[in-house]
Amino acid sequence: MDGSFRLGCDIGGTFTDFVLVDDETGEFQTHKCLTTPSDPSDAVDEGVRQLENRMPGFLAGTEEFIHGTTLVINAIIERKGAVTGLITTQGFRDVLELGREIRYDAYDIFSEYPEPLIPRFLRREINERITSDGRIIIPVDADEVGNVLEKLLAEGIQSLAVCLINSYENPIHEKKIKDIVAQAAPELSLSTSFEVLPQIREYERTCTTATNAYVKPITSRYLNNLSNRLDSLGFKGKLFIMLSSGGITSVETASRFPVRIIESGPTAAVIASQFYGKMFAIKDMFCFDMGGTTAKSCLIQNGQAGLVSTFEVGRVQRFKKGSGLPIQVPVVDLMEIGAGGGSIAKINRMGLLQVGPESAGADPGPACYGMGGENPTVTDADLVLGFLDPDYFLGGTMQLEKNAAKEALKNKIAEPLGTPTIEAAFGIHDLINETMAAAAKTHIAEKGGNPNLVTISAFGGAGPVHAYGLAKKIGAPRILVPPLAGVGSALGFFTAPVAFDLTRSHRVTLDDADFAKIEELFRALEKEGIDILQEAGGQQALAFERTIMMRFVGQGAETDLVIDNKPFIEWQKEDIRSAFDEIYETLYGRTYPEQPVEFVTFKVRVSRPGRSFQLPKLKTAEKDTARGKKGVRQAFSLKQKEFIPFDVYERALLGPDSVIKGPAIIEERESTIVIGEDGEARIDAFGFVWIDISS
Amino acid sequence: MTSTSKFDPITLEILWRRLISIVDEADASVARTAFSSLLRDAHDYTCMFTDSRGRELVQGTFCTPGQAGAMALGVKRIIRGTPLETYSPGDVIVVNDPWLLAGHLNDVCVLSPIFYKEKPVAFTACVFHHSDIGGRVSSDNREVYEEGLFIPPVKLYDAGILNESVLEIIRWNVRTPEEVTGDLRSQVAANHVCAQKIIEMLSDEGLSTLDDLADEIIARTEQSMRSAIQSIPNGSYPFEGVIEGSGKRDDIEIKLTVNVADSDILVDFTGTAPQVDWGVNVVYNFTYAYVFMAIKSAFDPELPINEGAIRPVKMAAPEGSVVNCSFPAAVAARMQVGHFMTEMVFRALSAATPDHIIAGSGGTPAQTNIFYGKRSNGKPWHTMIIRGGGLGAGKNQDGHHCAIFPANGANTPVEILESDTPLLVESRELLCDSGGAGNHRGGLGRRMQIRVPDGETAPIPPVAIAVQAGRFQYPPKGFFEGRSGAKAGFLINGNPGDPGGLTFTNPGDVITFDSAGGGGFGAPLERDIAAVEKDVKYEYVSIAQAEKTYGVVIDSKSGGADIAATNALRMKMRNL
Repeated sequence: MDGSFRLGCDIGGTFTDFVLVDDETGEFQTHKCLTTPSDPSDAVDEGVRQLENRMPGFLAGTEEFIHGTTLVINAIIERKGAVTGLITTQGFRDVLELGREIRYDAYDIFSEYPEPLIPRFLRREINERITSDGRIIIPVDADEVGNVLEKLLAEGIQSLAVCLINSYENPIHEKKIKDIVAQAAPELSLSTSFEVLPQIREYERTCTTATNAYVKPITSRYLNNLSNRLDSLGFKGKLFIMLSSGGITSVETASRFPVRIIESGPTAAVIASQFYGKMFAIKDMFCFDMGGTTAKSCLIQNGQAGLVSTFEVGRVQRFKKGSGLPIQVPVVDLMEIGAGGGSIAKINRMGLLQVGPESAGADPGPACYGMGGENPTVTDADLVLGFLDPDYFLGGTMQLEKNAAKEALKNKIAEPLGTPTIEAAFGIHDLINETMAAAAKTHIAEKGGNPNLVTISAFGGAGPVHAYGLAKKIGAPRILVPPLAGVGSALGFFTAPVAFDLTRSHRVTLDDADFAKIEELFRALEKEGIDILQEAGGQQALAFERTIMMRFVGQGAETDLVIDNKPFIEWQKEDIRSAFDEIYETLYGRTYPEQPVEFVTFKVRVSRPGRSFQLPKLKTAEKDTARGKKGVRQAFSLKQKEFIPFDVYERALLGPDSVIKGPAIIEERESTIVIGEDGEARIDAFGFVWIDISS
Repeated sequence: MTSTSKFDPITLEILWRRLISIVDEADASVARTAFSSLLRDAHDYTCMFTDSRGRELVQGTFCTPGQAGAMALGVKRIIRGTPLETYSPGDVIVVNDPWLLAGHLNDVCVLSPIFYKEKPVAFTACVFHHSDIGGRVSSDNREVYEEGLFIPPVKLYDAGILNESVLEIIRWNVRTPEEVTGDLRSQVAANHVCAQKIIEMLSDEGLSTLDDLADEIIARTEQSMRSAIQSIPNGSYPFEGVIEGSGKRDDIEIKLTVNVADSDILVDFTGTAPQVDWGVNVVYNFTYAYVFMAIKSAFDPELPINEGAIRPVKMAAPEGSVVNCSFPAAVAARMQVGHFMTEMVFRALSAATPDHIIAGSGGTPAQTNIFYGKRSNGKPWHTMIIRGGGLGAGKNQDGHHCAIFPANGANTPVEILESDTPLLVESRELLCDSGGAGNHRGGLGRRMQIRVPDGETAPIPPVAIAVQAGRFQYPPKGFFEGRSGAKAGFLINGNPGDPGGLTFTNPGDVITFDSAGGGGFGAPLERDIAAVEKDVKYEYVSIAQAEKTYGVVIDSKSGGADIAATNALRMKMRNL
C-alpha cells in the first residue's frame, strides 16, 4: 500500500484504542482491545495485527504512528520505576523528604504523605555551592563526585538524578557532574535538573528531576521495545509520543524527558476538542470526557486549551490537593474530578447523599454488572432512570441487571433516606451532574470564560449520557457529540503539532535588565528546541513563541506575557512595562504603575505546524430520521421529575440533516446520547450530533 | 433529618460544596498576588466568610487553625458591633486589634460586607500574617505598645473610596512599606474574588440571602460535632503542665480540665498562671482556637468548619491569666503558649481516648524567625520563616517528619530565601535520632543553618534575628511509654544563643536552628524489628540508638538486624 496512513494509539487503564486514518480518502478505521499492563506493547502488537487482518499491508504504508500512554503515570503510582539515586548540594539531601512541610489537611492529624521516589540512603551530597546570583563559592571536586557515584552504583542504582542548589541560575556544576558520569558510567541513565526544569524552588525542581530519573529507564525500555516491534511488523514511518502539553515529540525526546508524558493519555481528548473547536470556529468549547472513574474537563477558547506549569501525581488522598508529588512541566490545563459511571453513592455522616469520589472500578463494577457489586453507582442510577438500555450496553455484548441496580439503590440510599428508589436514582444522577457542574463552573470562570456561552463536546462512555444534565446546570446552550465519542480521543493525536516547550529562570528587574543578554538566553532556548525537533525529523519551517514571566518586585507568582518574536533588544522598556500593566489589570482588577517589576522566567515554544486532517463525510446522503428510529422507551425527565416516553434512535442509521426533538435517546456501541425535552439534535454531514438547548 | 428544611439534602450538599470552592478560590488568589514570602510561599493566612449575621459559614481548606478559629469569633463581634444598615457597598475595614482577632499585631484582618440586591448578605474576611508591622520585633517586649502598629477597626475604603490617611499611617509605621502595602492590596483582592463568586452563586441559585442556607449548614455541622463528642466517655479530665520560659524567664504553669458531658465540652483553665511581662500572653480567641483544634482534629476531622462546629465546645479562662490576657499585655509571641493548648487537651484526654490523639510535636509551637537589616547597598530587608518539627506519633502511625502543628504553613524554599535576602543557607536537613522512640516513632526534627555572608556581598551589620519558638528546655513528650523527641536548639557560631530576645549577628556568623523531634507512642521495645532496620538504613536512627533504646542489634556491615541477639537483648531490657 502507498504511504498515506497515520495510526493513533491510546493506551488507557482498561482499553487500548486505535484509530487509523487514510490521509487520501479521509476515512478511518477503529479498533479497541484490552490493555496488557505487564507489557503494554503486547496490546499494540495485537491491535496492529488485527488491523492488518482488515487492511493487509497498511502498516508498511503508515507514515506516522502517534502514541499516548499511561505507562509513566502508572509506574509512578504503582512505584515500579527504577532504583534511583540523587546527587545534591551538601546540606540538602532531605529536600525531597521535607517537601514544603504544609499539612494539606489542617485538621487531620493522621494524614499520610507520599514517600519520596528516592529513599534517603540513595540521596548523596557533594561539597559545592553556587549563590542565588550564580557565583561559585565552593567549586565542585571531581574526585568527590567520582567517589559518591561509585557508592551509589554499589547500592545498585539504575538511574541518577542531579539537582544542586541554585543551578537554575548557573548550571555549570551540574554540567561538570554530567561529564563525570558520562565518563565513569556511560550506561547509567541520568537526569540533570538544569535540563529537566531550570526553575527556582529547590523542592519542586528536585521532585520533578527525581521523577524524571525514576521513570526514565522504564520509558526508554518500553519505547525501544515498541519501536522494535513496529519495525519487525514492517512499520517504516516515524513514531511520535504525545506530550502532556498537547504537542507530540520523538521517541528520543520522550525517553530523555519522560516526566513530560505523564498526562499523555487524558490530553488526547482535549487535543481532539481543539481540532473540532477550530474546524467549527467555536469560540468557547468545554471538553467533557467522562469515563468510569473520573471526568476530565477543559475549556478550549478559539480552538486553544490553556497550559499550566505545574500539577501533582500520585496523590495519597486521591482528590486532595497537596497530597501528591508536584511536577513542574507544561501540561494542558485540564481538571480531573472523581466523577464517573462507576462513582459510588452513599449516605455520609451528616445524613446527606454523597456520590464519589470512590469508584467501583471494573471489578466488581456497578451493581448492574452483576459481578457482585453491592454499592449503587452512577451507572446503576442511569440504568434505573431509563437512560441506558440493559440489552444494548456496549452494543449488547454486555447484559446489565436492572434489578440488581434497583436493589442496591433501595438498600443503600432510598431506605436510609426514606425516599422512593426512583428519587434516589434521580438524586444520584443529579448530584453527580451538580458536582461536575460546580467543577466546570469554577474551571471555566478561572479561565475567564462564561458557562452560558460554551459548547460542550462530550466524550467517553458516560459523557454523552450526562452532557445534557450538565449543560442544563451550567446554562450551556449547545452540546456537540463527535463521531466515535468512545474512542474519539485518539483522533486528537492526528491534529497535535510537533512541539516542545523550554524555560529558563533569570531574575532581574526591568530597570536593570540587559536586553542583549536576554536575547542570548532566548536564542539558546530556541537552539535547544531546534535540536530537539530535528530529532523528530522533517525539514519544515519551525515556529517559535516567546513568553516572558513577570511580576511586581516582591511578588511570588508571575504573569505571563506572550511577546512578538522580534529580537529582544528591539523592545523598549516602557513598552514591556505597559504590556505588563495591561495584562495585570485585566487579571486582577487594578495595577500599580509606580511599583517596580521584574523578569523571572523566560519560555520558548518551538513547534512545527500539525498536518491537516480531513474528517470523512457520512456515506449515506439520506435525510431520513425515521430510518434510525428503533422505538420508544420510558425514561426519567429531569425537568418534570417523572417518567415520560423518549424516542430511541440508532446513531449509525441517522443520515445528515436528520433532526431529532427531545425527549430522545440516541444509542451507539460505546455510548448513549440523552436529549431532554428542551433539546433538539441535528446530525451534520460528518455525523456530529449537535444538540441545541432552549432554556 | 429535619422535614422543615428549606433545602433537600442533595441541594444542600451542592451549595455547601460551592461555598467551599468560593473561599478556596479566594485563598488561591493570594499566592498569585501577595508580596511577602511568608504569605505566598509559607501560606500564613486564612480566608473565610460569614452570613449576614456574622456567623462563620466556611473557611479556606489550607487555613491556619489559629487564625481561622480566632477570627471567626472576632469577625462576628465586629459585625455585630455595628448596626447592619450602617455598612455601605465598597466598605473595606482593616483591623489588627489582637484582642478582637488573632492575638498579635502581625495578623491583620481585612473585612468587607457583600451586598446583593442592595442588601448586605455576607461578610468576607481574611487574616494575613504580615511579617512586618513595625515596632520592636522581639518576644521580650513588656507591653503591646512596643510591638508595632495597633489598628482598631477602621475603614480602609469607605463606600469604595480609599482612605489615604489610613494607608499613610500604616506606611510610616513599618520598615518595608512596599511589601506591607502590596500585601494589603492582596487582601482586598482576595475579598473581592470571594464577594464576586458569592454574588454569582446567589444569582445562579435564585437566592436572596445566605442566612437560610447558613442555618441548615450550621445545624448539621453542630449535630455531627455533637455526635463525635458523644464518643468520649463523660467525665472530667484534668491536666497540669508547664511551658518553658524563654531564656532565663520562669516557666508558665497551665492548668486545665476538660469536662465532657454528653455532647458538650467545657475546657476550664481555672488555676492557670497570670499573664506575664513578656510577649507570650494569649488572648481568649487564640486560646480557644487551639482548644477547638484539639477537639475537632481528634474527633471530627472530616467535616468542613463553620459556626456549628464550635458551638458544643466551650471554654472558661480567668481574665488576666496567660491564656486570657488583658490589654495592654505583650502578645507578639503568643504562639509560644497558644500552640500548646492542643497538645495539652490531648494529654488530658490521652487515657480516655488513646486512639484519637498524637504525642507531643516538635512543630509545637511553630518555630518562627524574623530577620532584618540592611543590604550591602543600604536598602532595608525583612523576612520571616516558619519551621516545623517532628510530628508526634500516634497509636498506629509514626510521626511525619517536620510539620507545623497544630498551626499550619509551609517552609520558604531555600532558593527563594537566598534570592530575597543577603543570607546563605548552609543546610536544611533531618536530624538523626531526634524522633522520640516508641512502638511508633516520633517524626524527626530538622536543622537549618544560615550564614551571614562576609566579603563583597555582606549586609551592613548587624543582622537582627528574633526567635519565637520553644522546646529548648522541655522536649515534646512521648505517650504511653513512648520517649520524648530531641530538644530544639539555637546556636550562634556553635554557642547557645538566647532565644528570648533580639539577637544581633555580623558577617561571617553561622546561625543554627534545630527544631525538636516528635514524641514516640508506645514502648520502644515493642517496635517492629524491620521498622527499626529501615530507620537505621535511612539514618533516622543510629545503630547505637537502635541498640540502646529499641534493643535492636544491627550488624554494621550488612545493615540487617541480628534477630537472635535482638531477642536476647530485648528480653534482658524488659526484665530490668
